[in-house]
Amino acid sequence: MLNSLLRRAGQACVVLLAVAMLLFVMLRIVPGNPVTTMMGEHADSATIERMTAEMGLDQPIYVQFWKYLTGALRGDFGTSYSLKKPVTQLMAAALGNTVKLAVFASLFAWIVGIGCGLLAALRKNSLPDRLFMGFSLLGVSMPVFITAMVLQYVFAFRLRWLPISGADHWASFVLPAVALGWNSAGNISRLVRSTLLDILEENYIDTARAKGRRPLGVLTRHALRNAMLPVITMMAIQFSGLLSGAVITETVFSINGIGQLTVQAITGRDIPLMQGTVLFSVTVVILGNLLADCLYSVLDPRIRKEA
Amino acid sequence: MKKIMALILAAILLAAGMTAASAGVEEGLLRVAALYDMTTMDMSKTTDDYMVPMNVFDRLFETRPSPEGAQVVNSLCAECTVSGDGLSYSFTLVPGVVFSNGNPLTASDVKFTFERLLKARGMNTDIPLEVAGGEALMNGEADSLEGFVVEDDLHFTVRLNAPNAGFLAELSAPPLSILDEESVTAAANFGSDPKDTIGTGPYVITEWVVNDHYTLEYNPLYRGEKPSVTKVIVSVIRESATQDIKFQAGELDILNLQSLDSLVVESVYKTAYADRIVDVPIAGLTFMILNEANEYLQDVRVRKAIGMAIDVDQLIAGIYSGNASREHGIIPGGVQGHNDAAEGFAYDPDGARKLLAEAGYAEGQVSFELAVDNTATTDVQTVCEAISQMLKAVGIRAEIKSYEHSAFLDKRKDGAVDSFVAHWLMDYNDPANIMYTFFGSPENARLRSLNYPDTEIMARVAAASAIVDEAERIAEYQALEKKIIGEDAAWIPLFEGRHLFCLGERVAAFTPQWAGFSDFFVTDVVLK
Repeated sequence: MLNSLLRRAGQACVVLLAVAMLLFVMLRIVPGNPVTTMMGEHADSATIERMTAEMGLDQPIYVQFWKYLTGALRGDFGTSYSLKKPVTQLMAAALGNTVKLAVFASLFAWIVGIGCGLLAALRKNSLPDRLFMGFSLLGVSMPVFITAMVLQYVFAFRLRWLPISGADHWASFVLPAVALGWNSAGNISRLVRSTLLDILEENYIDTARAKGRRPLGVLTRHALRNAMLPVITMMAIQFSGLLSGAVITETVFSINGIGQLTVQAITGRDIPLMQGTVLFSVTVVILGNLLADCLYSVLDPRIRKEA
Repeated sequence: MKKIMALILAAILLAAGMTAASAGVEEGLLRVAALYDMTTMDMSKTTDDYMVPMNVFDRLFETRPSPEGAQVVNSLCAECTVSGDGLSYSFTLVPGVVFSNGNPLTASDVKFTFERLLKARGMNTDIPLEVAGGEALMNGEADSLEGFVVEDDLHFTVRLNAPNAGFLAELSAPPLSILDEESVTAAANFGSDPKDTIGTGPYVITEWVVNDHYTLEYNPLYRGEKPSVTKVIVSVIRESATQDIKFQAGELDILNLQSLDSLVVESVYKTAYADRIVDVPIAGLTFMILNEANEYLQDVRVRKAIGMAIDVDQLIAGIYSGNASREHGIIPGGVQGHNDAAEGFAYDPDGARKLLAEAGYAEGQVSFELAVDNTATTDVQTVCEAISQMLKAVGIRAEIKSYEHSAFLDKRKDGAVDSFVAHWLMDYNDPANIMYTFFGSPENARLRSLNYPDTEIMARVAAASAIVDEAERIAEYQALEKKIIGEDAAWIPLFEGRHLFCLGERVAAFTPQWAGFSDFFVTDVVLK
């Protein structure tokens, strides 16, 4: 088990290094000069040349990469071209809001997704089943920005129940969390429903019932426990996805998080900031997958045995 | 189960509702929004972010709107005299002015401000470079600015390399905001930390949360009257629809309508909020540049045909919903030297076809690239598309090509863009700001991709700023404008936009910045 875990962690490090290298090279071969973007049209060629040298962009790419890599290992991702502040400091400031948003959105997705899936499975083909599955389908198919704007208009602007935007109070996160988590909730509820319906048909469920187990016990101890295996994996992956930056949701609700920072980096062709935010996202996704693998091993004895 | 869920939901909404309802608006607070955060408060590093410089710092002079047009008025400068040859300026500072940290303002601070821009060798070096010795200081060949002599704490003289009648107007530009030498020198990274951003202006910046908001508060050491607004929160709201509903919900006090989609402005704001709109002409204009090094565009008849083929009135009505006025010259309306009688190009597609035929070009033969910066606003991109169609109608192929921002700038600097549509917003109220920038030297013409070849005209443009007699100077600029557009067709003037702001219930009055910047002087807002 430990060996398997270490092997997977090693693989994750290799993937991360490869992504960092690829990202570094790609950002330097795309057309356009970041110094020109930073200095604007008024800067003359001498100034551009001087700034290029000061920023180390005139050095060979492998030298630049080595400096970047050694800096990154020390937690130094360079200084943002556009905001003139250390990338680490900017990301640390934005991370809190992104984590809050991801946690709220995940909680919403998990509670609503599992709840709806469970109720839909238990009331198969009934009106609640259709309603819950319709709700899930809506969440899965509706673009986040539409969901966000509709929620903002109805609950914040018309009903005045919740703040329109910002991140200065926990209530500010309710609408963004719903907008962001609805899609995940839809996926989870559909997965819970289908998995549970399959399991409820299994022989061991009939055996449990025949042994006189109460329906709730059969559901929780036998059916739901087994149905949660793929769901938990999905939840771990989804959480890492939500944590890696919800660009649209953060933009619509003006939440100063990693997503907004990424937008700023891209629009300003801010290479250090882009590298920092993208690497953060990649790291989170890799860790999410690693966590999902570990959880799966822990929850499913067959996988553990194979490992 | 249902009851529990309903109770939990009700509790959440009640608590949230109470939070929203309990948030009353503090007296003296002004709430505004920006689509993008500022990047720095250091004027040697930006040509865009002027909200903090305009309100936290002062300049020697300010350009202020007035019924007679924008006027340059004294600010930190109490008195200024100019020598007969127009080269030397003697300044006297207003006595008793202090920075927000209590340091007195001295002539050394002013010299430091000039020298810093040059030593930083970053942005906004143009004006201090006019001072004798500026070039040497910037190139590291001198330690101080030779032409800037401090006589005592309140008096100093500035000697220019060449006379410039617009020099005082230039000193009112935000980049020439006067810094406190002591705090800037002590700062580790001036421009990024509010505590180092010390000025003599009516406000101090107390907080800056990157990508979220910044806060300005009244400077109790400010020498002028206490303003109606004592605190400003500028929130970064990237989504224009969010700005829209926040304003309509009463959570913003001034809304910059330039941030919104023009359809929303027309359908919502010009109807429901018509009486609360403040409309100011932008001192700047949108124009089309034609590169005279291009095979076809080097022929003046082709350039004139292009000018005649563009229906500017249709662009204004169709794309800007009438929120712009047609321009016929180079010097924009509202700017000193603007010529109401400038003729520009009359829309005449038949005349354009005739000119092309005269030049020997068959239909579709004239072909060039109309370059678009991919960061340009949707309106500018739409203007380019419309122009391309209008030119097609007279047999000219203007193929739109989109460039990544820095690639676009690089190509322009190489003088390699065939044509593009651009906008110029005046930094200060003097015709030299636009005439010299585009036609003052071969380098300027090349940098802006014109490749205008007439060096004699360039010499006259450069010399015009030294004409001391104001009437004579303006007459010379207008004559040059007539030659450059009427005879050379080197510049296709299009229109001057209007900047619309919508005032919230709490705002009694608001005067936008004279040139129609999105940034404004907060002292020009009066709360109810």
